[in-house]
Amino acid sequence: MADGALIEAQRLTVRRGNHVLLDEISFSLGAGQVVSLLGPNGAGKSTLLKTLAGLLPFSGELRLDGRQASQLDRAERARLVAYVPQHSALDVALPARDVVAHGRFAHRDVWGRPARSDESAIDHAMDLTDTRRLADRSFNRLSYGERRLVLLARALATEARVLLLDEPTAALDVTHALGLLHRLRDLASRGALVMVALHQLNEAAQTSDRALLLAGGRLVAAGPATEVISAEPVRRVYGVEMVPAAQFGFRMPTQKDATP
Amino acid sequence: MKTAVTYVVLLVLLVGAVALALLVGHGSLADPTLRSTLLGLRATRVGAALLAGAALATGGAVVQGVFRDPLVSPSILGTTAGASLGGQLAMLALVSGSPLASLAVSAEMVLPLGCLVGAGLSLAIVLSFCRERTGTLTLILTGFILSSLFLALSSFITSLAQDSWDMSRAVVSFTLGGVGGVSPRQLVAAAPLVGIGIVACWLWSDNLDLLLSGEDEASSLGVEVGRARRWAVTWVAVLAAAAIAVGGNVGFVGLIVPHTLRPLVGVRHRRLIPACALLGGAFLVACDVIARVFPSRSELPLGVITGIIGAPVFLFLLARSQREVSHG
Repeated sequence: MADGALIEAQRLTVRRGNHVLLDEISFSLGAGQVVSLLGPNGAGKSTLLKTLAGLLPFSGELRLDGRQASQLDRAERARLVAYVPQHSALDVALPARDVVAHGRFAHRDVWGRPARSDESAIDHAMDLTDTRRLADRSFNRLSYGERRLVLLARALATEARVLLLDEPTAALDVTHALGLLHRLRDLASRGALVMVALHQLNEAAQTSDRALLLAGGRLVAAGPATEVISAEPVRRVYGVEMVPAAQFGFRMPTQKDATP
Repeated sequence: MKTAVTYVVLLVLLVGAVALALLVGHGSLADPTLRSTLLGLRATRVGAALLAGAALATGGAVVQGVFRDPLVSPSILGTTAGASLGGQLAMLALVSGSPLASLAVSAEMVLPLGCLVGAGLSLAIVLSFCRERTGTLTLILTGFILSSLFLALSSFITSLAQDSWDMSRAVVSFTLGGVGGVSPRQLVAAAPLVGIGIVACWLWSDNLDLLLSGEDEASSLGVEVGRARRWAVTWVAVLAAAAIAVGGNVGFVGLIVPHTLRPLVGVRHRRLIPACALLGGAFLVACDVIARVFPSRSELPLGVITGIIGAPVFLFLLARSQREVSHG
């Protein structure tokens, strides 16, 4: 096992019937970085994230923080790996703070009693995602972007060291998308391993330290984001040519921008 | 604050319904020779209606949470139809003088035991399909097929029972629901099942809350989804069996009570389940009062009252929720 690896996959394979969804994928990822998961539709990005979250059966070897994934029980795994799906099935009149509190479920004792640290963990997660202002509002009354932030806060409340996000910027406007990616970078700088499936290559290039490029369930390229998101792999997988310099781009404002 | 007020109102409703049920009915409490007998009979009915209502409403809240579908009731699992079929078979055995009916239990306990055995067998079939990776659709289809099978067998028993007037009457009365013929011993047998069932469901409130996010999300947050579902299915079956044993087949309680309460106490099961137990009990006690005082040649079946009240209430709640959706 690679030293300090939080996720180490060896020949990870996922099948549904006779169909191979992930084909012998191997990689190793450590803490403190944002890793983009790239690839065209149907490449296996969501399948890989679900497999890492323990939601799909697999063959091969998967170690999480040095331990065999199959030996972790549900609660142990939830304390180690947090998962934010692309589309949440949650659509009820539950206050946003209660939704975030669901992230503390895996910290309950055998009698189901809340842990002492629950309140501070929930507050911290809501502060990081700027969702305290939404605390008392019903989740099903929030906008799509607000829901994404509350679900991110729920994942952060688990205090898991690995954060898996499936296309978190899909259907978000540029402000919310940039804000969310900015928060992911911030989380990585605090020591988390953030693995994020993205469709927008420019977002991935700006945000990620490393990237995994999938196509047809196989890992085509893996390495520093600047190497993976380059002309040859992109041409090979997506069939498009990269334009060396974008005509215009966007970033979050800094203090320098505010100075006249 | 809103939740506390709701609980106080529910308690007042429950106490009011119980007091009304004890004071109202055929026969005068002013007659000292009849008073204790009448109160005893009425108290047994009140107890049966309380238990059945609390059990069905709690079961409704739990299955609606597990299946994330507010339109389902405890009958979706097929265990209700199983309990009903078990009860009918027990009655058939009792009336036909089958030696099975007099093996080790008194005659009055044959019906509740039949309900429990029927629910237990259907539960065993449902659980055999309820594995870790079984989707809720499979569970719903299993429940639907079981319900259809047991209802067909119940119809067969009803047709067999037509040969005997007494048997035919007993089967129809049981099918339509009612707490008139419940004995104190039946109540004593059903009470712990309902009590333990409600507490067991309440203890798993957090699991049920997380299942509102869907199975994948609940699982990723640490819920053992298969175990949580088996737990819920088992206790809903126990609650349904106990309710049918003392109240017959009473519809709509498990559907409308949780629906009515969610806007008042919220969707969290830790608050919803006790509120459902209170309102379900009060509702069925009140329905039993109506069944007793309604001017007709014979007492109205309880299932008819709950259906007549429940259907329009449900349509009203449905229309209100649709309005809320369309108004954002």
